[in-house]
Amino acid sequence: MSPLELIRLAFSRLRTSRLRAALTMLGVIIGVASVVALVGVGQGTTSNITSRLAGLGTNLLTINPTSGSSSLTLDDVTAVAAVANVAAVAPELQTSGTVAAGDKTTDTSIIGTNASYAMVRAYKVWQGTFLTTVGVEQKLRTVVLGATVADDLSLGADAIGTEVTIEGLPFEVVGILQAKGGTGFQDPDDQVMIPVGVVQKYLVGTGSIRTIGVSVASVDEMDAAKADITTLLRQRHELAATATNDFSILDQAQLLETASSIAGTLALLLGGIASISLIVGGIGIMNIMLVSVRERTREIGIRKAVGARSRDILAQFLIEALTLSLIGGLIGIVVGLGVSALIGRVAGWGFAFSPTVVAVAVLFSLAVGVVFGVWPARQAARLDPISALRWE
Amino acid sequence: MVAPIIDLDRVSRTYAMGGLAVHALNDVSLQVRPGEFVAIVGPSGSGKSTMMNILGCLDRPSAGRYHLAGTSVADLSDDALAHLRSRTIGFVFQSYNLLPRTSALDNVTTPLLYQNVSRRERVARATAALERLGLGDRLAHEPSELSGGQQQRVALARAIVTHPAMLLADEPTGNLDSAAGRDVMALLTELNAAGRTIVLITHDAEVATAASRQIHLRDGRIAA
Repeated sequence: MSPLELIRLAFSRLRTSRLRAALTMLGVIIGVASVVALVGVGQGTTSNITSRLAGLGTNLLTINPTSGSSSLTLDDVTAVAAVANVAAVAPELQTSGTVAAGDKTTDTSIIGTNASYAMVRAYKVWQGTFLTTVGVEQKLRTVVLGATVADDLSLGADAIGTEVTIEGLPFEVVGILQAKGGTGFQDPDDQVMIPVGVVQKYLVGTGSIRTIGVSVASVDEMDAAKADITTLLRQRHELAATATNDFSILDQAQLLETASSIAGTLALLLGGIASISLIVGGIGIMNIMLVSVRERTREIGIRKAVGARSRDILAQFLIEALTLSLIGGLIGIVVGLGVSALIGRVAGWGFAFSPTVVAVAVLFSLAVGVVFGVWPARQAARLDPISALRWE
Repeated sequence: MVAPIIDLDRVSRTYAMGGLAVHALNDVSLQVRPGEFVAIVGPSGSGKSTMMNILGCLDRPSAGRYHLAGTSVADLSDDALAHLRSRTIGFVFQSYNLLPRTSALDNVTTPLLYQNVSRRERVARATAALERLGLGDRLAHEPSELSGGQQQRVALARAIVTHPAMLLADEPTGNLDSAAGRDVMALLTELNAAGRTIVLITHDAEVATAASRQIHLRDGRIAA
């Protein structure tokens, strides 16, 4: 029997028992859909994280105190700025608070920093200017608003020179940043920048710095700069030769690598969990096919009596199982892509169509059909025609 | 003399039933020549069904040799046997054995499906067979929408659509009222007149009179 005839036979069979076919397929649909959707979400997260990290600034080194220590100071910032190949250095002292303009308020991150911050973190100014070196030195109460904050406060280009309050203190708006875009766990545009001295004086009351961002002149100098800064800071912090660093220096590549490996593991884990439901769906197909073989024992006997060979029967039942799993798989792919597109839209990382995932899902559902269809089909093919014909 | 289409040579079929050997067929020899209309008659338990299964290649002899259309069935694999069966024999059963929820036309095309006949030819041949048996207006009907007599005629159409050398009919009138039964017997006689070999298996002596030769089975042996 030609494959085409077998497929035609399988379809006419599925038509006569639509509800059963639909319910059987549902298992595979749910399985494939959840695999496709979760892998899609995983990929979305990964590309979102990488693009966000790439947007954080090129040639970026970030220095953080190791947990528990508060070893970094503004003097360290000045000293690091003098290291060879260092293009710019910005301290970051972060807190959070309420920003108000007129009757609008928003809660956001407040970053105390200096004039180099925009360059180090790769922000572009949309209106006005960034913090100035003089303003930072003199601890002027000036503020640069991130795009999201400006939006939340309904402030536009004409807001430059006006006043907003941060935690009740009046600040002059000197600039508004261009939106960087990208969302996820943290919106890079949902923050305001004010001179680091102002944060220390009015908001945090500490001399230490949370993070130092270093922009290195070129990518080739990253390792050298990292080594030089390490030597310098160890010297400044008077660490003994045997002592471990009380700070850590991360470069962008490391961060990217770590983040994508975490996201990759997450996607794999999610996909693994989802594939369990696919196996359950496959067992559903096997179950129905076994029932079907039993129910259709007489039909099998008739077919054998009119000339079907064992392999014709085997092929017929196998193709039926395959048709179920493949149709279920295709519907599952459509549903899964829909769900991941929806999640992508809600979470804001867009929708990445991955032909690999679709191909793998199709192969997987075919495999489910074969693996869980072979046994019932063999049972059918092995039936003895005499007893099959007597079956009532 | 023409070579026999059926040649049973001292065939026995023994079943083991709870350690006891039951001789359903015992040392049976029989020859049927092309064009014959033979009735195998016997009460229930005489070995009719076993005879039918052996003749139809659904079962194999325990002893003896069976040549169907010149081929010894003992030497064939299951699949080769299925092939021989589908080319040589058309079955008609007491309970029709039509595929449920399947139109008369599709029922009749089924044997051709396994002979790799093209779809167009399948439909043409099946339609012709059904029309010949007076069911030209019932092509799309499913078995549940047909009377017993009509169902048996669909089964007959399915049996002849492959142009088999021989029809093997097992109590073809057993489930029919007498009018429909006569109808089916008339069709068998007509097919035989057109040259088809027919082997009829029945317990009904009256039905058997339609045949040109009667073989009486009793306790697994041919009784004169």
